[in-house]
Amino acid sequence: MVENLIVCEHLWHTYAGGVTAVQDVNLKIDAGEVVGVIGQNGSGKTTLVKHFNGLLKPSQGKVEVSGLDVGTHSVNELSRFVGYVFQNPNHQLFATSVKEELAFGLNNLGLSAAAVDEGVDRAVAFFGLDRYLTTHPYRLSFPLRKMVALAAIYAMQPKVYILDEPTTGQDHIGVTLVSNLIAKLREQGPTIVVVSHDMRLQAEATDRLIVMRRAEIIGDGTPKEIFSDHAVLEATNLHPPQITRLSQLITKPGLPNTALTVNEIAAPLASTL
Amino acid sequence: MAQMDYMPIPIVLIPGDSFFHRLHPIPKLIWSIGAVVLAFATRNPLVLGVVFLGGLLLFVLSGTWRGYGRFIAILFPISLSLMVFQSLAPAFPPPWTPIAQIGPFTIYNEGVYSGLSLLARAWAASNLAILMVMTTHPSDMFAALQSIGMPYELNFMLMASLQLIPIVQREFGIVVSAQRSRAMMAHGFAALLPSMVPVFAGTIERVQQLSMSLESRGFGSKGEKTSLRKIRASTTDWIVGIVGVCVTVLSSFLVIRYRHELDWSKLILMPPWLAVSIVLGCAGTFVVSTVVLMRRAGRE
Repeated sequence: MVENLIVCEHLWHTYAGGVTAVQDVNLKIDAGEVVGVIGQNGSGKTTLVKHFNGLLKPSQGKVEVSGLDVGTHSVNELSRFVGYVFQNPNHQLFATSVKEELAFGLNNLGLSAAAVDEGVDRAVAFFGLDRYLTTHPYRLSFPLRKMVALAAIYAMQPKVYILDEPTTGQDHIGVTLVSNLIAKLREQGPTIVVVSHDMRLQAEATDRLIVMRRAEIIGDGTPKEIFSDHAVLEATNLHPPQITRLSQLITKPGLPNTALTVNEIAAPLASTL
Repeated sequence: MAQMDYMPIPIVLIPGDSFFHRLHPIPKLIWSIGAVVLAFATRNPLVLGVVFLGGLLLFVLSGTWRGYGRFIAILFPISLSLMVFQSLAPAFPPPWTPIAQIGPFTIYNEGVYSGLSLLARAWAASNLAILMVMTTHPSDMFAALQSIGMPYELNFMLMASLQLIPIVQREFGIVVSAQRSRAMMAHGFAALLPSMVPVFAGTIERVQQLSMSLESRGFGSKGEKTSLRKIRASTTDWIVGIVGVCVTVLSSFLVIRYRHELDWSKLILMPPWLAVSIVLGCAGTFVVSTVVLMRRAGRE
């Protein structure tokens, strides 16, 4: 595993209106990690992750991604390494067909026609989009548009994926689909950063949680460590997934006291009944 | 500045507590209409220039000159194209007086005069209206127009359009970021297409949802409507409004009455070197500023 794929050193970001959205953040993310960023609205989560592909530049401090200083490299250069999937897929869909949408990023990278086709085919196969290749993206349902938006980034094969609220507007099936996609994606080894209020998703899909509050990182650990840290949870007013809260309330020998999934607690609980 | 704070044309309310911010919207509207009437009543560049400069002074006094400065910085160079096209093809009844030649193109004296007039007219007619937008809360304008009997639906359409401007501009910034995240280099008109389609589609979708939301909340129902905001006209507001009407009527009468004396198109004979300098300068500024703006739209 490559260490320190993403490094933030004393990162500060202050917007033009004077609001400091990120304050003295020090952070290292290794290659292959699946990291969740959680916190209340306005805590600085999105501001932080937008530094990773250069959409925002540090006001102070330094951010390096794959050895490149974000402050001195363009979004265009960084997009080869970092793929950012926006919360609203409508903000990036513009082509007249799904196939063109998938090819857009690859064309921008200056790849040959053969390489573009290969990238598109790879994305289509991974996401199961072969039925929709000639469909106008705006004719697709919202969950499918989200999938196309993610597929369009996947086609570029970045080392880092940033998923900004991937489950917003999704029903239970949609959330499960996203969770399964992340699991499938991680098998290929990229680094995945998930910004989401969906605690269930964060519990199931991530290895590590970064907790932000008022522009600072106040917690950094595994989901079990974070969901057991009552001080952090109280400070941020975040609530673990229901199954985690249930497992914390049922204090019986043999039962996990910080279960992250239903499966984790179901069998031990059944055995006690 | 964060790349996400994208406000290409800043025609929005700039909060403040100046005399103009506190002034009732109707007198401001009267003066704005007066500026438009006067601007179209004459072609005299001096009169139009005075109106424009007067408006500029008001921007300074209201504390909104920075916002207006950004507006001018973007649109003024583009408006210089009026000078170029008018100089070559005057919007004036012939005969025209040729004064210089640039390659195959002939510059006409009436054209240069017409270009100056049109440029001054465009800016004189618009700057008080822009000052009104920058110093008036949309809800206050809505309430004021409703109080003078403007049809509710028409009033709403006007206010919704004003409020849509910053929303669309913000959307455009987000969309440009999304496309840049997919390695879009964003140069030239071709680079705008990936950004404009999502903006327009999003705007249409938003408007459709807004119309459903409005209907669900009784928009269009018959009967008198109350308003959360109530604004009352003070004595000062009345005075400013009445003075505005008087100034508009008097000045328009005077410029029409003395239109022959104010028609300087035959009096001013532009030296050829000056005419060529003006035309080339305006053309160059227009082209360069357009290219710079297009490149800036996608640059980090």
